Amino acid sequence: MTWLGGWLKEIILVVLLASFVEMLLPSKSMERYARLVLSLLVLLTMLSPIVSLLKGDAISELSLAMDQQSSQGGLLSSGGQGAGTLQQILADGQKLAQGQQKHTLEIAANEIAGQMKDQIIRETGGNGVQVTVALAMKKPESPGTEAQPAITSVTVQLPEPQATADRSDDSEPIVISPVKKIEINIATTEEVTAKGAAIESDDYVSETDQAQAKAILKLLETRWGLEAEVIKVRSSKGDAAKL
Amino acid sequence: MEIIQVVGIGLLSTILILVLKEQKPLFAFLLATATGILIFLFLIGKIGMILNTLERVAESSGMEMIYLKTVFKIIGISYIAEFGAQVVRDAGQDSIASKIELAGKVLIMVLAVPIISIIIETVMKLLPA
Repeated sequence: MTWLGGWLKEIILVVLLASFVEMLLPSKSMERYARLVLSLLVLLTMLSPIVSLLKGDAISELSLAMDQQSSQGGLLSSGGQGAGTLQQILADGQKLAQGQQKHTLEIAANEIAGQMKDQIIRETGGNGVQVTVALAMKKPESPGTEAQPAITSVTVQLPEPQATADRSDDSEPIVISPVKKIEINIATTEEVTAKGAAIESDDYVSETDQAQAKAILKLLETRWGLEAEVIKVRSSKGDAAKL
Repeated sequence: MEIIQVVGIGLLSTILILVLKEQKPLFAFLLATATGILIFLFLIGKIGMILNTLERVAESSGMEMIYLKTVFKIIGISYIAEFGAQVVRDAGQDSIASKIELAGKVLIMVLAVPIISIIIETVMKLLPA
């Protein structure tokens, strides 16, 4: 049902945008032509479920075609030259594949994050934790094999304790700091503690938080077989206090 | 009240152009062009504001950016073509002005080519062979 909602939302937005843009157009002479392109866009949006069913990713194909058009255009550029060379076609194909791969990795990362969150809530009782997972394609160890997806970083954001939330009602909002990517092979960063795991602890983090962080670390290490450096546990209290 | 400023600039330059036209027609044309560019630049910020708002709304609602890009290209092409054609028309070159308009129309139609091709391919696949 979600896709239906998204599809309807997209149609409504495109129609609204088209009617608004029609008003913005400067003269009557251009209006007919602009209206044609706008109505085609509306048509494409309406057809998008069928298009994606029959042709795959229509949006990235469209953007590729637009990019090609803009790179070829212009009176002074050498139009047409190299437009159909094998290298360019291969590069375009790679671009399309990379886009799809990125999309897949994002979906998989969200799924993994949801599972990890469920496990953490079930095992450690940390209600309200937020888990962010970053996936990337790992380079193959031997040249013959294909690249495998691997978890590059896991960030667990601990919930803010109730007491601080009450106290800081009138202060600045809780800021969730952006996820930093951590390479697996770097083991000597400052954030890495003696155990090798990165618990971002400062004076503000309470002992209960520390204990919970350790429990989460252990859980993720054993259940998911992750290296300790990949996992990062943050306390939202500490982050907010730092700001 | 920006509209008063725009109308003021327009009226002022019209009077100046009427005076200049008798003595130096070339300068009258240059003044007309400069006034046109001035008003256009004045409006460009406002148009940018509208487009930024549209972009923000589209981003927040998860609309495909390629649609927005196409729509923006249409607006840009039509504004620039219209403005150029009017400047040229002011200089009395109607034929060149209509060519500029033609170029604008063709370029807008070119934007439709990828969309049309995707739609037609889909329809052809829907039809039984």
